Amino acid sequence: MTKHSGIDPLTQISPNQHVLIRLPSDNLKIVELKANAIVSLGKFGAFRVNEIIGYRFGTTFDIVYDGVEEEFVKGTQTMIGKISVLENRLKASSPALENSSENNRGLINLGSVVQEMSMAEIEAMKREAASGDAIISKMIESHKSFHQKTVHSQEKYLKRKKQKFAKFFTVEYLDSSGLLHYLIEKGDVLRVMDISQESLGMALNLANINSNGQYLCIDETGGLIVYAMLERMFAGDSNSKANGKIVVVHENEHPNLDLLKFSSYSDNFIQRHVKTISVLDFFEPAKEADIKSLFKPLSAEEINDLKSNKKSAYFRRLKWYHNQLSNIEVAASSFDGLLVASTLYLPTLIPRLGEKIHGSRPIVCYSQYKEPLLELSHSLYENLNYLAPSLLETRCRPYQTVRGKLHPLMTMKGGGGYLMWCHRVLPAAEPKLHQETLEKSEIKNSDEEGDEDAHKLDQEKQVIKRRKPNEDNEKL
Amino acid sequence: MSQFFEYKDTIKEGDLVLAWLSRDNLKPITVKAGEVFNTRYGAFSHSDMIGKPFGSQIAIRTKGSNRFGFIHVLQPTPELWSISLPHRTQIVYTPDSSYIMQRMECNPRSRVIEAGTGSGSFSHAFARSAGHLFSYEFHEVRYEQAKQEFKEHGLLEAGNTTITHRDVCKDGFEIKNGDTTSHEFRGPEETKVELNADCIFLDLPAPWDAIPNLTSVISKEKKVNLCCFSPCIEQVDKTLEALEEEGWQDVQTVEIQGRQYEARRQMVRRLDDAIERLRDVKRRKHEGVEKRQKNVEQTSNNGSSVEATESDKDLKHTEKTHFNPFGKGSRVKEGDSNFEWTQVSKVELEIKSHTSFLTFASKIIDRTRDEEQTKAYLATFKDEGSKLSKREQRRLKAQANKDIQKE
Ligand SMILES: C[S@@+](CC[C@H](N)C(=O)[O-])C[C@H]1O[C@@H](n2cnc3c(N)ncnc32)[C@H](O)[C@@H]1O
Repeated sequence: MTKHSGIDPLTQISPNQHVLIRLPSDNLKIVELKANAIVSLGKFGAFRVNEIIGYRFGTTFDIVYDGVEEEFVKGTQTMIGKISVLENRLKASSPALENSSENNRGLINLGSVVQEMSMAEIEAMKREAASGDAIISKMIESHKSFHQKTVHSQEKYLKRKKQKFAKFFTVEYLDSSGLLHYLIEKGDVLRVMDISQESLGMALNLANINSNGQYLCIDETGGLIVYAMLERMFAGDSNSKANGKIVVVHENEHPNLDLLKFSSYSDNFIQRHVKTISVLDFFEPAKEADIKSLFKPLSAEEINDLKSNKKSAYFRRLKWYHNQLSNIEVAASSFDGLLVASTLYLPTLIPRLGEKIHGSRPIVCYSQYKEPLLELSHSLYENLNYLAPSLLETRCRPYQTVRGKLHPLMTMKGGGGYLMWCHRVLPAAEPKLHQETLEKSEIKNSDEEGDEDAHKLDQEKQVIKRRKPNEDNEKL
Repeated sequence: MSQFFEYKDTIKEGDLVLAWLSRDNLKPITVKAGEVFNTRYGAFSHSDMIGKPFGSQIAIRTKGSNRFGFIHVLQPTPELWSISLPHRTQIVYTPDSSYIMQRMECNPRSRVIEAGTGSGSFSHAFARSAGHLFSYEFHEVRYEQAKQEFKEHGLLEAGNTTITHRDVCKDGFEIKNGDTTSHEFRGPEETKVELNADCIFLDLPAPWDAIPNLTSVISKEKKVNLCCFSPCIEQVDKTLEALEEEGWQDVQTVEIQGRQYEARRQMVRRLDDAIERLRDVKRRKHEGVEKRQKNVEQTSNNGSSVEATESDKDLKHTEKTHFNPFGKGSRVKEGDSNFEWTQVSKVELEIKSHTSFLTFASKIIDRTRDEEQTKAYLATFKDEGSKLSKREQRRLKAQANKDIQKE
């Protein structure tokens, strides 16, 4: 997407892009913005896209119906309102907290008696009212014991009410974390292999993803991993001059990078930076001579001379031809890193892919479960081409973030997956020793330093041994 | 370009390599022909590294013995660096730094502020991923050390890192001509640096004193994300107060727990084998008793000591053949192929149970839009339909029905 007359689609809300909309309930929604179109948020109301274009991402809007001509989203009861910008979500329709009793001793729960407005009144107001703000103020007025609540419980009460009646929403840039949260909330965790934001972030760092790397990837999350890699490499910017590339190997005839449909890169850009190839073509590439014998590109004149009905067939064949040649090239190249999120059997998968990785480059493998990575680690320990496989876990624990009342939340999402991290290395050639001596000698790292270090050294050796049984012998 | 972020294949004179001795022993060395890297495992000549691909294993045979020493020579990455760097302060480790970067949407367009620099662990990860990093350190020695390190690592040369000697709590974040900074001013006409930061990381004891100073240096063009990294809950509380006063929103505190597991093996020891072993012990004892009885009888019969020695041998013989499925009494190496093993994972002996609290917040300074510009811009779309697509209409109708049913 090009920067258009001063509106930057990466920082400002623009048409023809997918954005994340955070509803009052904190639920998320992905919406493709189309100029002149209407977006309906269901029970939270509806608005015209043009009214939010040009504002910064992260802005919170209120839908107001003050003096708005009655117009409904076709076929629904949702009325189209007008947009007004809110200072922030918290302040969205929150009247100052005052007159609160020090504690809520005076508060007796009378249920709906305390709340004097009836549901019917509220519903009517929702239709007519200026904004969620007005409804809530009205409710507070009629809430007899509101002022008897403590500030903290007033806040809680307001938050609850606000979520129920408010019509505000926040428009966010759709980054990989936002996309992941959306999928998690939608109950699509299994589709993304139960990966958490923290595991995703750590995988990207450990794999040293940066703008100019050539990466090899398997992504069974429907494209979330690739989406996140692209963000780290190009920041959503189709004008990026960086030359990084991701080769995505897939096990089916066709790749599944469905989630990339939410990104705003041009098709051209994706074609240049993301190459998909099946495991068959990757591991058993065709021979160049065979491809060339099957098809000969024509000269410009020859193409001109083709009948129009033959032309399209020619171009289809030409595309196939180029794709075949590029597959052959990809299958023969080396990469700057391997990032895998796959349920294929890892102990045989990773070493095959690892052959294509340059020395010293990181290999990162994500799995929903620990056991497949454990098995992988054991098998890589025994392989001289991989250095120090580590099995890692990272978990984020969110807190109730209220001053004076900080504590970890009572529940949090379980799961989040595990990572295996190691480096591709190139084992040394056979050491120059007679076979006989080699067999007899006890191969060990030699101890050249004085005795004062002996104890420490012993410890260290034990560490090495413990972590890698037989390492010493295997490595030489 | 920095050797941290530009992939290289072969080691050349002058390159920084990380020599991997063991998991917790990585040593940075600058390769220079003729020099030697001494370790307790032997002396490695730099010349042996030059021309070899990064990632090579270098093996040496120490003189006069049949022993070997070996190291792996790796190209540095921010993550390896944070394991190997010289600690001048507490540092931020990968589980925290990677989460912070992911959550703050750190990418090649980000303009990051980091204070203080400390040991520069996080700086390297930021410098790899961000458009620009502005790092601040008020401790003079640490500032100089970090600056020197950034220079050697090519971060300054890469042009996307600036380090400034500054007390950010007292004197804020603005970088002016004449300040002690790595930024090279083009001349007197360049009076100050435009920071336009959109990604703020504060790892210092009193972030609440630095927060008010951010206003003049953060971006007005986009949403700004912030993270304060503080070990104590009291610090978090004061930070929350400052964030609220300064109008930061979406405030949330979290904690990250990273764990590392070792892949180990546990021997498979079956009940039947245990029973069989006891049966064997019993049988042996029984045989032993019988033999001894025979011996006693024999000894008392002819009083010969020669016989006794022989029957001792007999005893030893039965011991050798006894049934020992678990290798009891001998040292069995984990994974010994004479035994059966199951794979297990073992958490580190010591885990980092608390690093710090991470408090996130965001801010949008400009909540207006340029009406004229937007109008002109939208005019270019005027032919696009104002109606919902058929598909969208169907979807909404279904959704509305669902909503009604729910209520
Ligand atoms: C814990 S260290 C930072 C470690 C760093 N994040 C890393 O990963 O290596 C904190 C640093 O902040 C510096 N510092 C403390 N207060 C400061 C201030 N007001 N202005 C600038 N630097 C400050 C200290 O000198 C110290 O080096």
